[in-house]
Amino acid sequence: MTSFTFKTTLFCGLLLLGVAELFAQETQKLRFNGLGRTTLNNTQYGGDLQDSDTTNAARINDGEFLLDLGINATPNEKNEIQSILRLRNEFGGFFGAGFTVEVRELWGKGVIANKIRYRAGDMDISQTPFTLYLADEEGMVNEPTIFQPQKEIIEYENFFTDDNTRRMQGLKLDFALEVSQVIDEIEFEGYITRVRGTDFVSVANRFVGGGTVAFKDRKYGRIGLNYVHTFDDLSVGQVPNGIQNPVYTADWDLHLWENDNLGLHFKGEAGFSSVQLEEDSVIVFEADDNFAEGMVGFDVKQANVKVDLGFRNVGPDFITVAAQSKRVDFTRQQRYFNRIGNERFLRAPTLFDLGRDFQLYTSQISEQLMAYDLRLSNAMPYGRATPNRRGFIANIQYADSAQAVNLNVEAAILSEIAGQGTEELKDFTLIRVASDLNIHKLIDWEKDLVFTLGLQVEQTSRDGVEVEQVDLSSNLIEAGLEVELFDNFDLLLGTKILNSEGSDYVPVYDNFNTVIDFPGRTVVDDTELLTAGGFKYRFKEGIYLTAQYQTFDFSRATTPENDYALSQFFILYTMNF
Amino acid sequence: MKKAYVYSCLVLLLGAWGMFSSCNHDTDEDGPSLVDRFGPFRLEDSLSVSAPTVDFANGETVFFTAAFNKNVNWTVTITGQESGSVKEITGFSRELNPETATWDGTTTELPLFRAEPCTAVLTVEGEDSLQLTTQLEVLSGRVYEGSLITDFEAAGPNIVQRNFEFEFTARVGVTQEIPAGSGESCLLLEGTDREDGGATDNFFVGLFEILAPVTGEQFIPVPSTVPEDVVFNCFIYGNGDPATIAIVDFYADGNGNGTYEEGPDTQFTTGNINVTWTGWQLFSITMSDLGITEQQLQELVGMRLVLISDNNNQTMPRGKVSYGVDFMIFTQNQPLMP
Repeated sequence: MTSFTFKTTLFCGLLLLGVAELFAQETQKLRFNGLGRTTLNNTQYGGDLQDSDTTNAARINDGEFLLDLGINATPNEKNEIQSILRLRNEFGGFFGAGFTVEVRELWGKGVIANKIRYRAGDMDISQTPFTLYLADEEGMVNEPTIFQPQKEIIEYENFFTDDNTRRMQGLKLDFALEVSQVIDEIEFEGYITRVRGTDFVSVANRFVGGGTVAFKDRKYGRIGLNYVHTFDDLSVGQVPNGIQNPVYTADWDLHLWENDNLGLHFKGEAGFSSVQLEEDSVIVFEADDNFAEGMVGFDVKQANVKVDLGFRNVGPDFITVAAQSKRVDFTRQQRYFNRIGNERFLRAPTLFDLGRDFQLYTSQISEQLMAYDLRLSNAMPYGRATPNRRGFIANIQYADSAQAVNLNVEAAILSEIAGQGTEELKDFTLIRVASDLNIHKLIDWEKDLVFTLGLQVEQTSRDGVEVEQVDLSSNLIEAGLEVELFDNFDLLLGTKILNSEGSDYVPVYDNFNTVIDFPGRTVVDDTELLTAGGFKYRFKEGIYLTAQYQTFDFSRATTPENDYALSQFFILYTMNF
Repeated sequence: MKKAYVYSCLVLLLGAWGMFSSCNHDTDEDGPSLVDRFGPFRLEDSLSVSAPTVDFANGETVFFTAAFNKNVNWTVTITGQESGSVKEITGFSRELNPETATWDGTTTELPLFRAEPCTAVLTVEGEDSLQLTTQLEVLSGRVYEGSLITDFEAAGPNIVQRNFEFEFTARVGVTQEIPAGSGESCLLLEGTDREDGGATDNFFVGLFEILAPVTGEQFIPVPSTVPEDVVFNCFIYGNGDPATIAIVDFYADGNGNGTYEEGPDTQFTTGNINVTWTGWQLFSITMSDLGITEQQLQELVGMRLVLISDNNNQTMPRGKVSYGVDFMIFTQNQPLMP
């Protein structure tokens, strides 16, 4: 790192600390919160392909200085409003060049008549995995700690949360009724949001509205009735095309039996959907279908083991756009080295890109099934709501009483319900293992020493005549080590390895889920290797400085001449206040 | 009470879940067949024709048969060995059969088929080395619905040449010097506009009058009295030169004497038709577009075919302009489907 870069980093860090101190002076009605971030990044491109590449620079330096300043006001005890202003300057911006100011977030909330809670403006909403939901991204099982700072940027920039919510704009109301004679309470929640604006000519206003009525009882469990409707408003402007996608489901988690040793649950969700595509007042496409997922859960308390076994059946035409739209948009242009080689071929997103490029991510709702990378997720590319899947699912969780060992195993044996391009059906096997080993608890060391492991094994196969046969296997391995060398000063190491071999057909969709073509058999024999090492200093909760070096190698046995390598060195300072 | 309620709900939910689980989904194959898209091609039954001869004028048809191991885009191209007429039948299927490959005598590229031997060739998209051929003979060409004005198979007193400026060549008239659009002969208009700057330097080359009696009737027969429903069609032959303009005029009996007289009769014109193409093309126009009334449509006493030299597109010295006309016919409700 040059002395200039280091001084710049230090200066910005101190500046952000000062701002935080200033804003910490809270008053009763006006408070400040937010996030400050400084990143400086050096990305290098190498490998055999780069040696002969005369079209790309081998190195890119970039970065940003960013302050999200949240102004929170509580004019009275029942109302609260907040706005977040974003001030951002790109690395290399000279006297204000590249400097932007924008409103990142604006909302108000409160309580009406001590009964009904409301929130207007920006909000994060999630219902169930089959209604309104943002499934986790692919390429990740139990991501090592070293990769999390850059992933946090992706999540922050795209408003992703741990609750699989979608960022929306609108109005939400919720309230609860106590009906203690029957069950403890009934919760009501409803919302209406606009997720897309109109241009009055070709793009319609798109709304998502819905709600949940949940019957809750501490002893017997929960039953929810859910509704979500994604629809385009064609009454504004002269927009001819629009969709309608109502989804109705019931979800439940019933406590069948429980004592000190064992708990027995029955949980699941079932429902149906319909879709319509209207063009010039004519319905040109419509479909409806249903799904059901049921699981029996065993809670073996003394062994700290929870086991869920069940069956899932999601129809080929079960369409729920608010739950099936993915986080990663594989058709987006990448920020770094989007085309490489003298032939300027388009570089597909890799583990390296998924870990750092927030432009690949989206929380937008797509009316048709989005593109996916079969190497990373072929069994359930659209999460649990992936249509055209039927089969058995299992989940095992273990955590010892000292929290020294955490283990989570997911397994699914699925098959298609309707064939794609053939009457033969694909079979899928998916196993995901995530484990945290808190070694410091095992050896009774006062500082942190944590080993993390993630593993995903996926197998896809299909019989038939030669041209119909499919055989694809992919393995993703993640390993991470976190060693606290000094107080709050961590050494971080991590690696991610993806091996994928075989072939399959990736369909091109139109009209929600209609397969219009198979561009050709996708043949892969790929290896991706991402390794990283670095340090992280935690000033306090939510405030840290990290410096890392990562290397990445991509190789495809079918086209070895296009193998390439990437690396990055970056410094990241983040402060939540 | 609570327990009963909860377990009732449980039973209901189990029932609902079982119902949804067992519901039949649409299990139809989705997307194009992989075998069709990517599977190897194999010919399972060669090309053959249902009959060696066909008499289209008597309403006969023929069909072709062939079979493949998968759905393919195929084309049968039938070529008249004398007329040069071409008919293409295309499809996407595993086999050619009466439903997919029947020929009723129509044509894709003019001229019309006549009584002649024909060659049929089957090709398959992506299988360039495959070319299957069979022969058949057309005993008579297809008869088209409509009111035929003339197909210029013979000259006569009702096809009148008007060579006012002596700019026509000697080849003009009903001729076989160019391939006919229908039958054996057609009408050729050919000449060169003078460029001496005198009174005849006026774009006009010459014209032919087609009088109603050429049809055997006093007035030219039309298939309907409603101008919106009557379509005039003719085949026009071009040489590809950029300066040829054709004009088709219709004359309705303006003085009630039942014969063509240029002055008193009422003229309706198509306006300029730029004949820039090579070979035969169909020209069609709905009579209502000419502004003709129902009464006038029933009293058509003649037509004029005019040859104009588009001097704006001419070279110096001016070149020859020409076009051929054949198979003038009125159809009802739609243009002629040759």
